[in-house]
Amino acid sequence: MLEALQSQFGEAIISAEQVGRELRLRVSANRIQDIARCCKEKGFAYPADITATDTGTELHVVYRLMRLETDEQIVISVPVSRTGGRLPSLCGVFAGAEWPEREVYDLFGVRFDGHPDLRRILLTDDWEGHPLLKTSRT
Amino acid sequence: MTQSLTPTEHVTLNMGPQHPSTHGVLRLELQLEGEVIIGCRPIIGYLHRGIEKIAEARTYPQVVPYTDRLDYLSSASNNMAYVQAVEKLLGVEAPERAKFLRVVLLELNRIASHLVFIATFANDLAATTVFLYGIRERELIMDLFEMWAGARLTQSWIRIGGVGQDIPDGFVERAREFCRMLPGRLDEYDRLLTGNRIFRARTEGVGILPREMGIDYGASGPTLRGSGVSFDIRRVEPYEAYPALDFEVAVQPACDCMARYLVRMKEMRESVRIIEQCLRQLPAGEVMAKVPRAIRPPAGEAYGRVESPRGDFGCYVVSDGSAQPARVHFRAPSFIHLGALPRMLQGWKIGDVVAILGSIDIVLGEVDR
Repeated sequence: MLEALQSQFGEAIISAEQVGRELRLRVSANRIQDIARCCKEKGFAYPADITATDTGTELHVVYRLMRLETDEQIVISVPVSRTGGRLPSLCGVFAGAEWPEREVYDLFGVRFDGHPDLRRILLTDDWEGHPLLKTSRT
Repeated sequence: MTQSLTPTEHVTLNMGPQHPSTHGVLRLELQLEGEVIIGCRPIIGYLHRGIEKIAEARTYPQVVPYTDRLDYLSSASNNMAYVQAVEKLLGVEAPERAKFLRVVLLELNRIASHLVFIATFANDLAATTVFLYGIRERELIMDLFEMWAGARLTQSWIRIGGVGQDIPDGFVERAREFCRMLPGRLDEYDRLLTGNRIFRARTEGVGILPREMGIDYGASGPTLRGSGVSFDIRRVEPYEAYPALDFEVAVQPACDCMARYLVRMKEMRESVRIIEQCLRQLPAGEVMAKVPRAIRPPAGEAYGRVESPRGDFGCYVVSDGSAQPARVHFRAPSFIHLGALPRMLQGWKIGDVVAILGSIDIVLGEVDR
């Protein structure tokens, strides 16, 4: 799987590591849609999770795709700007991306281009800021 | 001759947040054309407590009780997903006895949760008797939890390294007694409900979730297995004592509300079998591994996942090497299923909403977090 992705996307795959049954990839933002679509075509058709994590200096959106028949997983981590970051939406690839992307927008402030309905989801519409960023007070 | 046409208007109807059939505080903004649903916007967040943010300011063991309050009908599953991720980070494994005891707890939680499903689902469809029966049987499980963990609902009993305490004297006998009793009671529900004409009319062919659509949404648990997909984390990525246990994964092909109900009915019977096997095979020994007093997992990330009564419950934990997790995220199946609800409701009548919503068995505690 890794070889196939590397030959097709080359430079866009920044790093790759196999940890148990997880293939962990770091991928550049501009190719994420194509890479996700390719994974889906190769059987990783189950969008297990989309979330983000902020280290205080770096923000990553993390996608977890899974093959249903086995426990193989691809975990794709995409670096994105901590202020006003933007990513292409995966709603056109996975129907199940819609709500988790809204959640990442709500809690981390990442905007997903091409999302059909990017609104806050857990917090109220008039909430200010994005509480899961480390700059937000605990 | 001119004909005066009455203009058709779409009506917006707010269902909830205080509607008894939304099972918690959920609001559905329904767009109606006559009786037919042409659009639905679920409004969530009423129960948002910021648990993921709170977790970043707690030590690793302190997070466990917060997880109870996600899917509060099955607190052990939440404990398990989080603890599994932390144990992966620490490189700690629970003792064999604890692995079996965890499964006993998890499966008792599954039965208790499915009993609430049967009870409330039937009640929503006007079969009130079944509600009382389901809650009656669940009470016996609550008593077992109380006997073992001291708490009935939020047990926090799966801890980092093992379980809170070993089972008390007399627990095995009482659990066995429950396992002997339950199948007969399930037969009784079958007679009351499964063949009932009204119940079948309300559920058969209603709320179709096609197989491919279910996968595309990331649906799981009884919701996906009711659409003919044999996907169960206990089988695909077995954890704790599951590899040693014999059980069948319940699958139904019909993709409707009835199929999701039948999957849960079958699962309770399988859970009984699992618990009986665990009690029979229960190894002797410790119930808690040696875990350092101050837990500081090495920097890295881990993902714990369990088959909760609602489906694929995941927990993503990132450590920066300190005593507090840098990030804790919960992948809640109810959240994912609710995202698919608008598509499932499309074209059905207003009266079907409670059946379709009930059939995906959401818990708002884990949706809103």
